[in-house]
Amino acid sequence: HRRLPAVIPTPPVSASPFPNPKSQYCCLSRNFSAALTPLLPVQLPSRMETHLWYVVPDEVKSAPLLSKYMELLPQSERDHVLGFRGDQLQKSALLARTLVRTTIARYQVDGHLDPRSLRFKRNIHGKPEVEWETKDGFCPPPLQFNISHTSSLVACGVTMNSLIGIDVEEKRRRTKNNILAFAKRYFTAHEVEHLNAIPDSELQQQEFIKLWTLKEAYVKALGKGFSSSPFNTFTIRVNTAAQESFCLVKARKEASSGIAVETLDSPQNLTNNWQFALLELMGSHYVAICLERQETGGAGKAFPIKLTARKTIPSVEDELVSGTNAVVTIGGSVTQF
Amino acid sequence: MASITRASVSMPSLSTSVNQSQRRISVMNSVSFPVSGRSMIPSLRLQRGLQVCCAAKQETVDKVVAIVKKQLALPADAAVTGESKFAALGADSLDTVEIVMGLEEEFDITVEEESAQSITTVQEAADMIEKLVEK
Repeated sequence: HRRLPAVIPTPPVSASPFPNPKSQYCCLSRNFSAALTPLLPVQLPSRMETHLWYVVPDEVKSAPLLSKYMELLPQSERDHVLGFRGDQLQKSALLARTLVRTTIARYQVDGHLDPRSLRFKRNIHGKPEVEWETKDGFCPPPLQFNISHTSSLVACGVTMNSLIGIDVEEKRRRTKNNILAFAKRYFTAHEVEHLNAIPDSELQQQEFIKLWTLKEAYVKALGKGFSSSPFNTFTIRVNTAAQESFCLVKARKEASSGIAVETLDSPQNLTNNWQFALLELMGSHYVAICLERQETGGAGKAFPIKLTARKTIPSVEDELVSGTNAVVTIGGSVTQF
Repeated sequence: MASITRASVSMPSLSTSVNQSQRRISVMNSVSFPVSGRSMIPSLRLQRGLQVCCAAKQETVDKVVAIVKKQLALPADAAVTGESKFAALGADSLDTVEIVMGLEEEFDITVEEESAQSITTVQEAADMIEKLVEK
């Protein structure tokens, strides 16, 4: 993988907030009394590409850095972040807003690179979108994005044109309720059967989380709000040839197991408009991505999802991780670049 | 004070599809309540077509708070009140669905998924529970 160094300006000396001199941010922290280092720009994804960006909150420890991130946000978003109860929740909320702003800014749409200048709105169903400035001659790019976060991971997916939904969850997330009771209440019969057929309770738990993230990603991609697609009105199907590979950690570069969605009101037709990817990130998290299908490769066969994944600490460092151990495809047809 | 006789309550019939912000409707002008030591809510029996929601009982709110604290693994002394928003307390969508499932079990009700998605605070959950329990 390539590690892209951030451009670090000559810093005025200021005290490190960290007691531990071995902290990797000890030296960097002195730089944040100056402006944040410039974001490294990135080319817009092509029509067939999906970009995945993520931040690991535990790796962002610098208080000055977090303050600088806060300064990128408009007052309304700062208030929203501060409305969360406790430091950890506030931090992941802050990183979510920071990630989406800095990520979109990198694409330098219309020459802009300032994350502060981006405006967001919600569509009529509440899905967040960029509100591009309407200037003469400026045609906003069909940039699509979606964010998801837990306390331990913040992720943002970006495409050109394809509606996208993304959901992340810790592999070890446990439900308070019994899985099968929960599934019977909220999932479809097929999904309950699928879970019920797994004898090992640990694997069953993981399978549940995979299904949950896939279902969330689908609803978020649809962008019509959860009440328009209750979870028991659509089934996520994993094709039987791939059942085993679905449970195993497989090759990084290419994997080909079919995941499809079937809505209950048209059970005979698998809904071909959507394709899915399921990734295992850093061995600790599942990331589900749902994309609107743009083109098919003849006979309704979909092209694999072309994925580029980058881990980032905005304005500090970016790391290309696709094709490494950090990002393992465990479901769907994905090619990593 | 006069007490309500079941047959004689006459008041304008209100749409049952009041939206959330109008749920607490005051009909104090038309209705007199019985004077008694008991809670007002069980003694209000109204004609079809009329729905009056008083704020949920404290007992209901307390039970919701307990379920929320348990789901989110909050300490027993965490400050959680009616106004507390699930999301602000750290509930993600899976937590919210689990909380609703916990409420269904505790109160023996069924919450439609559409309604479940619209609950964002403890108070909203408690109000919804009371509405469903009354049915």
